[in-house]
Amino acid sequence: MLRERLVEALGAGAVKTEPEDLAVYSFDAYTDGGRPSAVVLPQSTRDVCAIVKIARDCGEPIVARGAGTGLCGGAVPMQGGVVLSFARMNGVLELDVANRRARVQPGLINRELSRYAASSGLFYAPDPSSQLISTIGGNIATNAGGPHCLSYGTTVNHVVGLEVVDASGEVFTTSLDDAGYDLTAALVGSEGTLGIVTSAWLKLMTLPEDVRVAVVAFDDLGSASAAVSAIIAAGIVPTALEIMDAVITRAVEAAFHAGYPTEAAAILLVEHAGLREDGESCEAAIEAIAREHGARSWRSASSQAERDALWAGRKGAAGATGRIAPNYYTQDVCVPRSKLPEALRAVEAAAAQNGIVVGNVFHAGDGNLHPLLMYDRRERKQVAAVVETGNVILQAAIDLGGTISGEHGVGWEKRDAMTRVYSTADLATMGRVRDVFDPARMLNPEKIFPSGTQCVEVKAP
Amino acid sequence: MKALAERVAPQSAEAAGEIVGACDRAGEKVSIVGGNTLEGMSLPPERVDLTLDVTALRGVVANERADLTLAVRAGTPLQDVATLLAAQGMFVPFDAPQPLYATVGGTLAAGWAGPRRHLYGRVRDYLIGSTVVLADGTIARAGGMVVKNVAGYDMSRFYVGSFGTLGILVQANFKTIPMPPHARCFLAPLPERTRERAAVQLAGLSIRPSAAFIVRGFENAVDGEDGDEGRVFALIEGSDALLERSTLEIRSALGRAGVPETQVIDAGARASFERVVDAYVACLGERSVTYGITALAGGAERCALEIEAVALRHALRTESIVDAMNGDAVVRVSDADALALGAKIETFDEALHEVQPRARVFASKHAHRASLRVWGEPPAALEQMKALKARFDPNRTLNPGRFIGGI
Repeated sequence: MLRERLVEALGAGAVKTEPEDLAVYSFDAYTDGGRPSAVVLPQSTRDVCAIVKIARDCGEPIVARGAGTGLCGGAVPMQGGVVLSFARMNGVLELDVANRRARVQPGLINRELSRYAASSGLFYAPDPSSQLISTIGGNIATNAGGPHCLSYGTTVNHVVGLEVVDASGEVFTTSLDDAGYDLTAALVGSEGTLGIVTSAWLKLMTLPEDVRVAVVAFDDLGSASAAVSAIIAAGIVPTALEIMDAVITRAVEAAFHAGYPTEAAAILLVEHAGLREDGESCEAAIEAIAREHGARSWRSASSQAERDALWAGRKGAAGATGRIAPNYYTQDVCVPRSKLPEALRAVEAAAAQNGIVVGNVFHAGDGNLHPLLMYDRRERKQVAAVVETGNVILQAAIDLGGTISGEHGVGWEKRDAMTRVYSTADLATMGRVRDVFDPARMLNPEKIFPSGTQCVEVKAP
Repeated sequence: MKALAERVAPQSAEAAGEIVGACDRAGEKVSIVGGNTLEGMSLPPERVDLTLDVTALRGVVANERADLTLAVRAGTPLQDVATLLAAQGMFVPFDAPQPLYATVGGTLAAGWAGPRRHLYGRVRDYLIGSTVVLADGTIARAGGMVVKNVAGYDMSRFYVGSFGTLGILVQANFKTIPMPPHARCFLAPLPERTRERAAVQLAGLSIRPSAAFIVRGFENAVDGEDGDEGRVFALIEGSDALLERSTLEIRSALGRAGVPETQVIDAGARASFERVVDAYVACLGERSVTYGITALAGGAERCALEIEAVALRHALRTESIVDAMNGDAVVRVSDADALALGAKIETFDEALHEVQPRARVFASKHAHRASLRVWGEPPAALEQMKALKARFDPNRTLNPGRFIGGI
């Protein structure tokens, strides 16, 4: 019935129900997931409306999916349901150079937008490490970050309007230019639980005329993170402040030959962008603070190629860990920036206690940690140790005044951790928004909200 | 005659929650007020049984200098925040009028989007956490004191621009950014047939100024003197090198537009900029109504001209501020006295909205305000907004009728 109706509406080429196809869509970059009833590839907003209506009629939940790079199980159904893949809605619909805006489809790959806009002197600022494959739709769903969010802000700061298909299959639009409630803000980061974005107006930025990238070596992770805290505390906000420890640097060098010194215990990657004339003095100010905090060397990239190589290495870091262990689990927590050294000590202690090799590669300037816990999925004991380590790190971040996700999202993985940072009333308030957009909980159910609170109804006492 | 509404100024979120919850259960309507500086941007509530003044909820909750974050109670005046942060070399670009009186909560509730947003982003983009009292008295928190947080919906930003119709903001947490070391402003009278060209030139500068306006009128409010077609006001902020290069660039750009002389002022440049922002909502007693519209760059100048043309047909005096960087057009129409304005304003308002359906009222102290299309054309997603109001405030306790579409 479901298949027949979908095929009738979209054609057989847009509908997948063979077990081997469905299996592919029961995973994202998280480990857990269920098999969907069908996978559909819409080509237009109208297609999306039709799919939502059919799924609703058939009582099937809907999970929107971009490239499946999410780390929290946000883009996979837990049981049955229709997965809506945006692989065929991946274009730039309009580039408005005068207003520095672009209208794009959700399946557009993040990096493609900056490539497309480059000839106009513009770029799209949010740059998650997955940007070579992850899509704008997925980035919007998770309010994705990236190294350059330090000064440019996360995805929500760069979305000016949305076209959305709601839970009943009707289209509505939002715009920051319009008066009224900020529905754009509510939708960005809602992980597909409030609506399905079918196009987005995005803000573009002018490419800076002068970009400097430096690699700074430290003898230990503590000094590097203390240096970052000090740079921020001095009121300097460069465009990126990224840290990698030796575990990661060695893996990156082996994979990319990016030019990172492998003998250093910790590497700080500093990027500064602005006017040509200011580059040198800004760099000097940052270098002075880094040296005060034990920087052993400071090397500025001398060419665009060298800068690109360093960034390619940094953004490919997680993948490069395949050389260390068959599997890795990425934790994503954010702490107040002055608490970085403490948070890293907690990570180290948790990993040591559970006998897990940890690699740290993270957005230090934002206080956003990404410990990569290495393990072998086939070893049950290691899996348990990784789960425990991740959990201890999560709690340590919360105890330091931090949060359970800085940029990856809650998804399926962290839904039950939501109660550790929010009260019942706080969660019920979010639930009120959900009640309006998805009263029947058919859009990406079992995500974000803790289990058992799907139909939470909080009335005044 | 209806008795004057009672006025309370709770000193804590809990006290505010108890008061509002009690009103909600009793079917009483609550009007929420801060500094009253942006009151004219919305309609008067249709009924008020209690006025809840948030200005007693003031002061810093946490000033985390090393984290570049700050938490304040919502009734804190913007100037207090600015002064505190300036001492640390930091700021949050509120860019709202009358910072001595305007509160943090009121500025957020009004969704104020200032002129420097094209460069620094909107105030909402600095908001990292919030505490809100809902209509039923529930106290709900969102976000925290970290600069990146995607745990759950972004409720803090969601309340921005809701004019107190979803809840009462009692605390706001911000990330801060470094204050640019230097500021400089430019003033230039515009000779005949230079206005449009100047706007285009300013929007196309390679070093974007923090703000650039084409102003007409607003004598004594905005610095500088009008030429035949008004005057340019621009603000640049940054390093010495930026000031130097930007100055050359602005001078030659205006030169190309046919503007012969540009005055450069460093002393009090930011204060001078703040006077432009004040003018956005400055009223001539009850003799004026100020309209605003967000067009996109390039469209703003045309919008202002259209509004001015309609005003001319109604024999109303006009003054305008066109934000060349964001594409906002702000036009103040006025007449000799309140009676003269009152006789024309409704027909003008109607004619204006035929030409510019999205024009909103920014400021008016006039008694006729309630009969104007204060909100302009309703937004595309009005139905969703109404449903949100119904879910957050089913008894319509908070600011009923103040918002768009009767919300």
